Amino acid sequence: MGLFDFAEVGFNVDNGFLEGLTRGFKNGVLCKEDYRHLTQCDSLEDLKLHLQSTTYGNFLANEPSPLTVAVIDDRLREKLVVEFQFLRNHAYKELATFLDFIKYSYMIDNIILLITGTLRQRQLSELLPKCHPLGIFDQMETVTIANSTADLYNAILVDSPLAPFFKDCISEEDLDEVNIEVIRNTLYKAYLEAFYDWCEGCGGATAEVMCEILGFEADRRSFIITINSFGTELSKEDRAKLYPRRGKLYPDGLTELARADDYESVKRVAEHYTEYRKLFDGTGVGIGEKTLEDKFFEHEVTMNVNSFMQQFQYGVFYSFVKLREQECRNVIWISECIAQRHRSKIDSYIPIF
Amino acid sequence: MGSLFRSEQMCLAQLYLQSEAAFACVSKLGELGLVSFTDLNPNVNAFQRKFVNDVRRCDEMERKLRFLERELKKDQIGVYDNGDNPPAPAPREMIELEAKFEKLENDMKEINTNQEALKKNFLELTEMKQILMKAQHFFEEMDRFDTTEDEALIDPNTPQTVAAAGKLGFVAGVILRSKLPSFERVLWRACRGNVFLRHAEIEMALEDPVTGDVVNKSVFIIFFQGDQLRNRVQKICEGLHATLYPCPDTSNERREIAIGVMTRIEDLQAVLNQTEDHRHLVLTQVALNIRVWFIKVRKIKAIYHTLNLFNVNIAEKCLIAQCWCPTNDLGKIQDALRYGTEVSGSSVASILQQVTTEEQPPTYNRTNMFTESFQGIIDAFGVSTYQEVNPAPFTIITFPFLFAVMFGDFGHGLLMLVFGLVLVIREKFYLAQKSADSEIWDMIFGGRYMILFMGFFSMYTGFLYNECFSRSFNVFGSSWNVSAMNFDAVTLGNASALDLDPVTPGVYRGYPDNYINGSGYPYPYGMDPIWQSAENKITFQNSYKMKSSIVLGFAQMLFGLTLALYNHIYFKDRLSIICEWIPQMIFIWCIVGYLCVIILFKWITWKDPASAPSLLIGLINMFMFTAPSKADGTFLYTGQSTVQIFVVLMIVFCLPWMLLAKPAVIYYRRRQKANRYAPLKSDSSTTRGLENPNFAEDVGKSQRNYNLAGGEMADDVPIIEQDQLDVESNSIQQTEPDPDEKDFSEIMILQIIHTIEFSLNCISHTASYLRLWALSLAHSELSEVLWTMVMHIGLSMAPPAGPIVTYAVFWFFAVLTVGILLVMEGLSAFLHALRLHWVEFQSKFYKGQGYAFLPFSFESIIQGRVDE
Repeated sequence: MGLFDFAEVGFNVDNGFLEGLTRGFKNGVLCKEDYRHLTQCDSLEDLKLHLQSTTYGNFLANEPSPLTVAVIDDRLREKLVVEFQFLRNHAYKELATFLDFIKYSYMIDNIILLITGTLRQRQLSELLPKCHPLGIFDQMETVTIANSTADLYNAILVDSPLAPFFKDCISEEDLDEVNIEVIRNTLYKAYLEAFYDWCEGCGGATAEVMCEILGFEADRRSFIITINSFGTELSKEDRAKLYPRRGKLYPDGLTELARADDYESVKRVAEHYTEYRKLFDGTGVGIGEKTLEDKFFEHEVTMNVNSFMQQFQYGVFYSFVKLREQECRNVIWISECIAQRHRSKIDSYIPIF
Repeated sequence: MGSLFRSEQMCLAQLYLQSEAAFACVSKLGELGLVSFTDLNPNVNAFQRKFVNDVRRCDEMERKLRFLERELKKDQIGVYDNGDNPPAPAPREMIELEAKFEKLENDMKEINTNQEALKKNFLELTEMKQILMKAQHFFEEMDRFDTTEDEALIDPNTPQTVAAAGKLGFVAGVILRSKLPSFERVLWRACRGNVFLRHAEIEMALEDPVTGDVVNKSVFIIFFQGDQLRNRVQKICEGLHATLYPCPDTSNERREIAIGVMTRIEDLQAVLNQTEDHRHLVLTQVALNIRVWFIKVRKIKAIYHTLNLFNVNIAEKCLIAQCWCPTNDLGKIQDALRYGTEVSGSSVASILQQVTTEEQPPTYNRTNMFTESFQGIIDAFGVSTYQEVNPAPFTIITFPFLFAVMFGDFGHGLLMLVFGLVLVIREKFYLAQKSADSEIWDMIFGGRYMILFMGFFSMYTGFLYNECFSRSFNVFGSSWNVSAMNFDAVTLGNASALDLDPVTPGVYRGYPDNYINGSGYPYPYGMDPIWQSAENKITFQNSYKMKSSIVLGFAQMLFGLTLALYNHIYFKDRLSIICEWIPQMIFIWCIVGYLCVIILFKWITWKDPASAPSLLIGLINMFMFTAPSKADGTFLYTGQSTVQIFVVLMIVFCLPWMLLAKPAVIYYRRRQKANRYAPLKSDSSTTRGLENPNFAEDVGKSQRNYNLAGGEMADDVPIIEQDQLDVESNSIQQTEPDPDEKDFSEIMILQIIHTIEFSLNCISHTASYLRLWALSLAHSELSEVLWTMVMHIGLSMAPPAGPIVTYAVFWFFAVLTVGILLVMEGLSAFLHALRLHWVEFQSKFYKGQGYAFLPFSFESIIQGRVDE
């Protein structure tokens, strides 16, 4: 950020309204008190009644009882999508690109979901409802015809915005389960790197906030890929290719991670980094202990909340989407616990404010 | 009471309702709309309250009704509204209603599923028909193409080409027109250009069976070779939601199928029509009743919501409610309770018990259609503190008057009056027409009586200013006489303007010594019309309007200050009267009052224009202690110098009086109290917050009242148990701390601010009233410009062009008059009048720190004015 960097002067002209709106949306995010009330509910009907008193308002009013978790999930997601689409439709220039970047990650997920589904002989009509509405694009549903990645790229994705991320994983190999995981991670890696570079190019507060968040995302993926690869046929060289080359782990941490053989060695890598050491400390699967995944989520939430501390930057939009997503996960978790009468774990949601 | 002067006297009451009678009683109270319930379980979650299940049932019923309403809207059937307002049904009727709605919803859903299936079928058949038609076209074209090709290139005798063509497979289908381009592209890429696609648009729009939207589609036909490609094509079609239909190879078969499809479409159409009729029948039945159902359900829901606010006493089987209500209406409320108990057949009566509290009661001003808008203006500034003087009744006159001072024009006022009259006379018609949901219209219509009054007063001031569309009337004959000047023919012929000297005998017949002998009189009412043609009209009017604005302003501020005295007397605040009100009164009289007095004095007594004194210089000199003299034109009357010195000294003397007296007395009293009434100190916080606790007898009195009330309750009503008394004492604890407990430094600072504000405001507010002059000047100048620049052109032309131009120009004039002078100028004058009331007038006495009384009323709930 140079002395003569005036990018922020004009920020409000183009994005002031949307930023204000997003901050308003963020104020509607459920707080600890709300979660406390929600966890006291005895039935989903109670949950609905309480959500009525929050900014969710009457979003379930037209649903006939008995309410199911799936319906709540749909409505929650619908609300996020409506809000996001509104932002996207009113976004201008760079912000539009930024919001599109947010959408790409959902597109990647959707494509992978469809391919995996097709491999497992599922019907398209069965798979479609599971796709995230933010990641739906025109050609998406035709991915089922592809037999190899080259096919996939040449026939379908070349037109889609995902094409640039696909360059690294074109091969004539047939699609199979391991392959798909590799594709997913390669795609994600390319996507994260592109997004990271774009944000860095923006400069100013956007770069400051987003590079931190995306860097963390990249590191998290590297850790998770490494941990999940133990006991699979993935070779270490191939694994190293999947690490997104951004974030704090790059380059030294990644080299070390590439050599890791078991969970302990991953933990040793994490110990070199203060933030990550905290996350690896005291994790477990027992009651009262938090899983590594939850710890990562918690850290992500903190970063996203902090992103609202900075003005004149696009990070708030990203953070808002992520916080809303986390909120959906929380509400769904609580609803599941209520619906299945499994109250002992009801408190393992991740509070936001 | 019951007047607008002060807000209604309110009391806090507890209701003891038998559980079986509670519903009927609350229902009755809801119809009455006179009580506002307070929440007695603020710490209980929404879903843990007692009647939450009933609320949920109502939600469910409402959902079903909303579903039916949506269906009505889909079919564009209007809801029947006969203005009925049914009472809330008894709880047992609720089950009946539930069953009815359940049945209707299920019926409706069944009809919808059937219809959807039929429509889907219909759509498929229509698409099939289209495909067959278009395919026929494609094949014909291809045949033609084939034959020409054959003839040209290959020997027609070899059957090879025909065989090759036969091997070509094809699929036909329908796809959304918007998806066609990407479909084409994907096909080409995925099949590496080895397919041939033909498409044609379906001209008629088709209906989507699920959403009912109108969609445009295209028919396509794809030719390819081999099974692999067929698979691929089919997958792509599936992926892009294209529907494939079987299409036979030969044209004969196609024709046969087409005929079959046609007959089936006809059959289906008949069935569809029948379903449609049935649906319509059901919906018209629904349309007849849905409004009444909605009202009933909303009422039940509101009642249960209210019951949820109550405390439940399980042992005594009764519900305890706490509410604010106007003291005057206690009788009506008692009647409603009695009626409710009777209806429900409960053996034990419901009891209403007044409770003494020191919480500030809500402010309730009873308004009617006429006073509503004026009260609205006041409430927009701030809801008045409980029982303080409400400026609304005075605003009814002063607001339109001040508006009119700025808007004074007879013609414009008349137009406004007519507009207001139309709204008022057709009031019932517009009220019934609820459909107009425009906020701007609501605002104008809500202020119809204000518009009427503003129009009327504008006519009055317009008459005073003698202006009608900037022209004057000469009703009584001008009192100026030009012939008395004895101008000779030469002067008259050459001059474009002539001086009229009022001192020359006979020129101005308005002087008393002139009309004693019966030769004249001043223009009896308003402005002399001769000023219309005078060169110095503006100079004259400026001086006149400026001074009258100050006099008007002083009158209004003085009135505001008088109202403050009423407040002090009413709240028995003797300290404020002596230490604040009296010095304020002296101060304002000395500064602004004296100015007004000399303005009036000069108007009445001065007649020699040459030696007229300058009030402005005089006022400045007064503060500089310069003795008035004839030389600089500041001399008005003998003894002026002494009077003015006295006035200035009074002003200076009032400042420390306002600033120090009150804090000093409070400080002194506190010290005394601390010495003498040490044990009483803790009790002083329980006195009524509104009464000034500085008077020892007041402390004692309210203390006694409280004990008395408490004692009565304990003796007379055995139902109350300890826990209910706890509730009551809780509510007492919630009140804000007594003003007396404020820190002394805070009191001092407030007093300093108050004093500075008041003394500066005396000047600045007086100056602020000059806007009356400025706006009225602007208005009259604008209308004059409009007349001379527009209307005058037309009128001054000779026939034959004259009348035509006048006609054309009149419309221009009319549009500008309404657009600029009535609407824009009107809005600006309105705004300034509003400001003068809120700031200049109300700052003298109005605190506006109350909160509005929001009664539990079905009427406002059904109209959606209140959030449940």
